[in-house]
Amino acid sequence: MAIVSLKKLTKRYGSMEIVHGIDLDVADREFIALVGPSGCGKSTTLRMIAGLEDISGGTIEIGERIVNDLPPRSRNISMVFQSYALYPHMTVRENLGFSLKIAGAPKEEMDRRVAEASAILGLDALLERRPSQLSGGQRQRVAMGRAIVRDPDVFLFDEPLSNLDAKLRTQMRTEIKKLHAKVKSTVIYVTHDQVEAMTLADRIVIMRDGYIEQVGTPDEVFQRPATRFVAGFIGSPPMNLQEATVADGKVVFAGGQSLPLPIRFKAKVNVGDKVVFGLRPDDIYPAGHGLHSGDAADVHDVELPVTVTEPLGNETLVFAEFDRRDWVSRMLNPKPLKAGDRVAMHFDLSQAHLFSAETGKSLRA
Amino acid sequence: MTVKRLSAPTLLLLPAVLVLAAVVVVPLCLSFYSSFTPFRLTRPETFFTFIGLRSYRNILSDANFWWAFGRTVLLLTIALNLEMLLGLGLALLVEKASRGQRLLRTIMMFPMMFSPILVGFQFKFMFNDNIGLVNNALQSLGVTRDAIPWLIEGHLAFVAISIAEIWSSTSIFAILILAGLLAMPKEPVEAARVDGCTPWQTFRYVTWPFIMPFAYIAMTIRSLDVARAYDIVKIMTDGGPAGRTELLWTLVARTAYSDARMGVANAMAYFSILLSIVFTVYFFKKLAAARTQIGAEW
Repeated sequence: MAIVSLKKLTKRYGSMEIVHGIDLDVADREFIALVGPSGCGKSTTLRMIAGLEDISGGTIEIGERIVNDLPPRSRNISMVFQSYALYPHMTVRENLGFSLKIAGAPKEEMDRRVAEASAILGLDALLERRPSQLSGGQRQRVAMGRAIVRDPDVFLFDEPLSNLDAKLRTQMRTEIKKLHAKVKSTVIYVTHDQVEAMTLADRIVIMRDGYIEQVGTPDEVFQRPATRFVAGFIGSPPMNLQEATVADGKVVFAGGQSLPLPIRFKAKVNVGDKVVFGLRPDDIYPAGHGLHSGDAADVHDVELPVTVTEPLGNETLVFAEFDRRDWVSRMLNPKPLKAGDRVAMHFDLSQAHLFSAETGKSLRA
Repeated sequence: MTVKRLSAPTLLLLPAVLVLAAVVVVPLCLSFYSSFTPFRLTRPETFFTFIGLRSYRNILSDANFWWAFGRTVLLLTIALNLEMLLGLGLALLVEKASRGQRLLRTIMMFPMMFSPILVGFQFKFMFNDNIGLVNNALQSLGVTRDAIPWLIEGHLAFVAISIAEIWSSTSIFAILILAGLLAMPKEPVEAARVDGCTPWQTFRYVTWPFIMPFAYIAMTIRSLDVARAYDIVKIMTDGGPAGRTELLWTLVARTAYSDARMGVANAMAYFSILLSIVFTVYFFKKLAAARTQIGAEW
């Protein structure tokens, strides 16, 4: 049972402020992902929750208890590190049981809980090995096992999959998701990989330069990015974002080309406003090769020259030139295209985003 | 008729082999041989009288030799253990310093920058019963009114020598252990803190196993060092009073150069080397075990 609550949490190193008074409430048993580019303060935030970094200002509550001045061992948390941080001189069994041994748990209970964790993670065959004899994925499983054994209020994950290769990462991602379904604890998960955040988390916290940009479900942050930064950060390939000026009923790009101003933004902007126009690759597609959900009236057709194509098998990313810039589009059910071909592109403007060029905030209702 | 030419590898190795033979192998063989003769520097012809193991039998039945041997082992035990503890403490403190660590590290090395002979002179002065700093301090602080005969009473002299030895060499432990601390990954320590360890438990279960190999390296170096301890003792007490601080190598040197009994001295020396070999083998075994344990990749 643990709610984690950050209030005006601040971290300073000398005069440098790294985390600027962030507020966040994590519900019991919720899986929260902190995501952002490196240096955004996500790891520092996690380490403050763990107690590995001092707090310069604000409070952290875990389970309705202010833990600001408690050492890590008194916070009833578990942490999984990017580098696994296993104890190299102990066997897997000893690594798993270490926290219980320190807590002075009786032998039978220790054996039982180690056996449980080992069964959940499939470590039974490895119990007598040392970390140096394990592969990266196995080490990461031991690190997670060590976290489970403690039966903590909160699990903290610090980029746990970053040291694994791509295939293993996908596999372990699924395992973490299954694990959360089984152990049902509060999880705070730090990653720089937005795909990990999207696939795993109940809610995503997007951080940038020590501020929280947006908190929301994967769906919300994808469909309704609150800022230009979030729009560009979430989604792969990233959203097409171009600066533009609002004119009468349209947005005019730097090169002079224009697109109709989507209807729902009409009341939000004035002629002459500087905006950033955003459209996901999914919403730009060669005619007949996309998924259009909205009204046909929202679709704008332009014929564009193709500059590059990136075939992915089930789909092809088509880079097409519009207003002297490359716009990425996603072509489903792909047909062969080559550079220089001219293609009729559908711009589904019902999915368009507008951000204020000045503040970066979304102009969406 | 062609002269058989030496192969290239032989030819390339030859200079090294010749030099080694001249400066190491031949003297070693000669000295080893001389331990089986009654060779005296003053009577060169004795070098050619072979007496077999008689010198060895004599020294092994000589109480003075065994006392010196025992004292050397005792000094080794005391010095190594205390240096280890103090060095560990110093290293842990310096590692905590977030500022001026470089400076502290340099200062920590100071004792190693002095010749042991000078260290000996310095401590001889400090422990002097009349004009020494130690007695002066003890008397000024009112601890005692007597002049403690530091270098004159046997046990106290041994203590004084140990202190000088420890002062001059603790930094070897400190530096090597500090190297270990700086090289060790930080995450296991953080994991231990999260796992519920108190600072002491973190040290005991995580930090210590990591730095153990470094401690053993220091142990090996220092055991060889102390087993051949000579200079500090020579200066401070010259083995006195009445042979109460005589160590193996002061005894060997006295036998070889004061008594000119080179044959016997060599026999003692070869026997003493056994001591060093035993310690080295022991610590290397420990080192290997400690390295395997932490899965060291060096």
